[in-house]
Amino acid sequence: MSVPDTVHSLWTVAASSTTQTIPTPHIEYGQLSPMLAVFGAAALGILAEAFLPRRNRYWAQIGIAMAGLVGAFVAVVVLAAQGYAGTKAHLAAMGAVAVDGPSLFLQGTIVLIAVVSVLGFAERHLEPRSSTGAPVDAFAPQAATVPGSDAEKSAARSGFATTEVFPLTMFAVGGMLLFPAASDLLTMFVALEVFSLPLYLLCALARRRRLLSQEAAVKYFLLGAFSSAFFLFGLALIYGYAGTVSIGGIADVVSGTATPTPALANTTANDALLLIGLAMLGVGLLFKVGAVPFHAWTPDVYQGAPTPVTGFMASATKVAAFGATLRLLYAAFPGVTWDWRPVLWGVAILTMVVGAIIAVTQTDVKRLLAYSSIAHAGFILTGVIAMNKAGVSAVLFYLGAYSFVTLGAFAVVTLVRDAGGEATHLSRWAGLGRRSPLVAATFALFLLAFAGIPLTSGFAGKFAVFQAAASSGATPLVIVGVLSSAVAAFFYIRVIVLMFFSDPRPDGPTVAVPSAFTATAIALGVLVTLGLGILPQYFLHLADQASVFVR
Amino acid sequence: MDNLIPVLVGLPLAGAAVLLLGGRRLDRFGHWLGVLASTASFGVGLVLFFDMLSRSTAQRPAFEHLFTWVPVAGFQAQVGFQLDQLSVVFVLLITGVGSLIHLYSVGYMAHDERRRRFFGYLNLFLAAMLLLVLADNYLLLYVGWEGVGLASYLLIGFWQHKPSAATAAKKAFLVNRVGDIGLSVAIMLMFSTFGTFAFGPVFGAAHTASQGTLTGIGLMLLLAACGKSAQVPLQSWLGDAMEGPTPVSALIHAATMVTAGVYLITRSSAVFNLAPTAQLATVCVGAVTLLFGAIVGCAKDDIKKALAGSTMSQIGYMVMAAGLGPIGYVFAIMHLVTHGFFKAGLFLGAGSVMHGMNDEVDMRRYGGLRKHMPLTFVTFGLGYLAIIGFPGLSGYFSKDKIIEAAFAHGGTEGWILGTAALVGAAVTAFYMTRVMLMTFFGEKRWQPDAEGHEPHPHESPSTMGIPMVVLAVGSVGAGALFAWNSSFVKWLTPVTGHDEGHSPLSSWTVSGITFAVIALGVLVAWTMYGRQPVQATPPVGSLLTRAARRDLLQDDFNHVVLVGGGQHLTRFLVYLDAKGFDGVVNGIAAAVGGTSGRMRKLQNGYVRSYALSMFGGALVLVATTLLMRAV
Amino acid sequence: MNPVNYLYLAALLFTIGATGVLVRRNAIVLFMCVELMLNASNLALVTFSRLHGNLDGQIIAFFTMVVAAAEVVVGLAIIVSVFRTRHSASVDDTNLMKL
Repeated sequence: MSVPDTVHSLWTVAASSTTQTIPTPHIEYGQLSPMLAVFGAAALGILAEAFLPRRNRYWAQIGIAMAGLVGAFVAVVVLAAQGYAGTKAHLAAMGAVAVDGPSLFLQGTIVLIAVVSVLGFAERHLEPRSSTGAPVDAFAPQAATVPGSDAEKSAARSGFATTEVFPLTMFAVGGMLLFPAASDLLTMFVALEVFSLPLYLLCALARRRRLLSQEAAVKYFLLGAFSSAFFLFGLALIYGYAGTVSIGGIADVVSGTATPTPALANTTANDALLLIGLAMLGVGLLFKVGAVPFHAWTPDVYQGAPTPVTGFMASATKVAAFGATLRLLYAAFPGVTWDWRPVLWGVAILTMVVGAIIAVTQTDVKRLLAYSSIAHAGFILTGVIAMNKAGVSAVLFYLGAYSFVTLGAFAVVTLVRDAGGEATHLSRWAGLGRRSPLVAATFALFLLAFAGIPLTSGFAGKFAVFQAAASSGATPLVIVGVLSSAVAAFFYIRVIVLMFFSDPRPDGPTVAVPSAFTATAIALGVLVTLGLGILPQYFLHLADQASVFVR
Repeated sequence: MDNLIPVLVGLPLAGAAVLLLGGRRLDRFGHWLGVLASTASFGVGLVLFFDMLSRSTAQRPAFEHLFTWVPVAGFQAQVGFQLDQLSVVFVLLITGVGSLIHLYSVGYMAHDERRRRFFGYLNLFLAAMLLLVLADNYLLLYVGWEGVGLASYLLIGFWQHKPSAATAAKKAFLVNRVGDIGLSVAIMLMFSTFGTFAFGPVFGAAHTASQGTLTGIGLMLLLAACGKSAQVPLQSWLGDAMEGPTPVSALIHAATMVTAGVYLITRSSAVFNLAPTAQLATVCVGAVTLLFGAIVGCAKDDIKKALAGSTMSQIGYMVMAAGLGPIGYVFAIMHLVTHGFFKAGLFLGAGSVMHGMNDEVDMRRYGGLRKHMPLTFVTFGLGYLAIIGFPGLSGYFSKDKIIEAAFAHGGTEGWILGTAALVGAAVTAFYMTRVMLMTFFGEKRWQPDAEGHEPHPHESPSTMGIPMVVLAVGSVGAGALFAWNSSFVKWLTPVTGHDEGHSPLSSWTVSGITFAVIALGVLVAWTMYGRQPVQATPPVGSLLTRAARRDLLQDDFNHVVLVGGGQHLTRFLVYLDAKGFDGVVNGIAAAVGGTSGRMRKLQNGYVRSYALSMFGGALVLVATTLLMRAV
Repeated sequence: MNPVNYLYLAALLFTIGATGVLVRRNAIVLFMCVELMLNASNLALVTFSRLHGNLDGQIIAFFTMVVAAAEVVVGLAIIVSVFRTRHSASVDDTNLMKL
């Protein structure tokens, strides 16, 4: 029994040498304030849920959530104005969180998405009122009740509402703010789970079609946990290779500039650890962005989740996940670009082609938008592959542009309803343009933006990513991208034709008149779509300024 | 002051947005909002005009760069405005006549339940048209060009319950697409040659391009102009476009939009001046169209279609003048403006007549209306005198100058063009006199309409009367004002350049001959329609007079050979499109659809198979990453 | 004993977990397989921690346990609610949405 002293000394110390102290961690609260504001609002929301009487909760929760989000946005703007997006960019909280241009840009985007999403969650004019006359929202009256049971009916009758969605959303938003800013892999993993877990729950909360909703939650949860396990194992392997999980440390080891130690010499002798680890981290991230072949959850979950949640998920998750992907590939692994780039090429091509092609035969609006989001993930990946500053700024711009189009499109989907709730089957949308020209025109605008028609934000975004990819020599990728865009344009235009040039069905759905919440959300979507389409250069410039990572 | 330029476009655009998105709550006063947006834009135009007047010639052009749309090295798509002497003329014409027609429409569309939408479209048109003439580069001009096309489409088909209106709107849209292709090809050629779309740099570098390129650009621009301005061979849509409400015909299909082709050619004078072949093609198109339109005008019994033929013919004059080069540009624009006044006035008069006659458009069912509609008669009459070129009125100054310039072109070409222009003037006098006589003189030939309502011709309300009077004043005075001290020529020369040319005939000789042929035209028309009663039934069968029979023959001829030819061309293109391009496209679509149908089977709904695809994906990812290192 | 052996064990556990996800039908068992994958990662982390002679890996393992616990809370909530609705925990029964 001779265990070397050196190993024991790791976790045992001689009782005599108690003078060794652990320094107090230094936390820069000001620089973390966007996340702190949102997490604070989330915690407060839980307390409100516990202590406020039921009738007061709805407005209290909206107030708390909005206050937290507005506070977070102000904090982001103030930090950016103080120069943290440029010259003062650095690592906060003992190197766990990067406060730099991409972080702040993406955090600002996510917070704005969350504002619009919370507006959508707060909508109570679309569902018919409960028998007590209380307005109800899109979420199950009591999530714990079995669908179709007496308990559910009585909960619905008494006008219960799952106001927990607001704190859940706040937790998810907090995680999303942290995810692209995480400067070590552990923080990134924790952030990934913090924003995923509330989303799994939110998916299960639809008021109508609860079976589909629960199925979506189960699928999302199981596959999400599966992908997290890959991410974690990848993390372990990278830690094994580099002996550290901080982005900067990994980059140093990968590029060979780290101080050599015997242990490092041992683990870095073979790059297999590094490459397998990177690929497994990639699985986790590509799952979240919905890239082929990790996309299979997207259509089912998008279809089953309550539509406001789908809009939130489709936009904010993508922003956060691409942010983290960018940081990982640009800040931690630029030293092995030549290893991951060809792989990502393949993934991007597959994603664009599969997304665009399967979308062609979809018959459900939400599934159609899900496949469209897969294709868009492919377009964004072409910008990621560019591996230059233009690529970063193009991806940042695309994410901002895409997420507001998505939010707007899903918000419109909530308006088109019949007796069974939302009428999502495409055939029901025939002739919508005759019946409600404004709603149909708004949806058409979003579809045109998805298709990338000039003067919409989609065009500017696509132009930017393809330009960046082409300038880095990825011309074949751009050609595939343009071809898939053409295929994608086909099914977007098909929906427009269906809405405007077919005869409305006599039993067709009605377009509900929303409250100011959803109306504002849609109006913001239209505004951003047109604004970024007509005046893209201000935002491109902003994204360009915010495209340097700190590590 | 220059930062007011975007406001010109912004006001009607905002008006259109409010009217089209505002919903029913705006129904009560929405039309006045439209009038307000248009008049305010006119006011801004006036302010800018006087501001420009107060500056010295060299400083008059103003530029306002708004923003860069796509800022990529090598592809700078700018959004910027340019207000020079040429643009300001158009701005005043568009907003001025536009405002009058907005006002007129308040009365004309009073009983239409979709009046708010109509005003929204009108405002949209104004915004697009102003964008077209204010753009400082071809790309932005193209945006405006498409915008007016869209507005025109929407307004022709405004009464969509009439199948003929819907068909006419589609036809206009399709024919215009042919022209638009010309413009887009021209823009692409310019970009590949000069690397920019902006007017200044393109014109500055024009002399460096090869003759072939310049000719190509010129011909493509001419094709674009033909589409928009209804010139042979793309003229077929204009007659049908009269299905739209009459104010639309007055504003879009007489005064402004259809003259965009003339603007395009004049604006691109630097290119055309260096491309004689393109110029020759332009004068040919102009000369053919001016005769063609005039002949069509003689053949129509529908008052609006007769006027449409006349519009075609008058724009033919302008295009011909523009094709003549520096000796013609100024007069093309001058005729464009005077034509804007009198043709808009004539259309509004026609609208007023229709308004009083239960929307009857057949002139054979008019007659003797001068007693019942004195104001319409007087204003229409003044417009009539102006268009035939009666000495002292607007048309006299502008049209005679074009005829003179045609002769001054020199050589055999000059003689041919001059003669064509003279013949055109004679025919113009003929058909306009015919319209005048059939509508306002002779015995009344009214008939009850389908529901048996006897028409009771009456004067129109003052919202319709005032614009007619103002336009009549313009028809009378504008020409003299422009000709006085050659003020118009001096105004435009810095932009277009001007060359007096050497006419083989003196100015007075041309005027004399022109007057003589006009008198001849009037006389013939009077012999045929004034001295003997007009048949109330259309000239068919044995009842036809000899004159009417000739009329019909020409109509048939036009239809079979020219319109029919156009239709065959269109049909051929449609055929080619359907079988050729669409065939390929549909084939690809079918292939994609089939692949899609098979691929979506993979999405089988089972979590475990999704997990399998992820697991497989992860394996492939790991394997390829390792493989990349091995290779 | 050579610490690399622990890595082999971790990889084996991870693969067993992943295979379990692919072949088992019961949602709870499926989820336990995911937990197995997480624990395989923990084992790898601790092993690497010893290899490198720093404590990071062990700390991360603690974080992972907390995260796994949170995941259990959310996961069981969802799985139980589905079970109560369908009276079945088989993932092959939740198959309404496809194509």
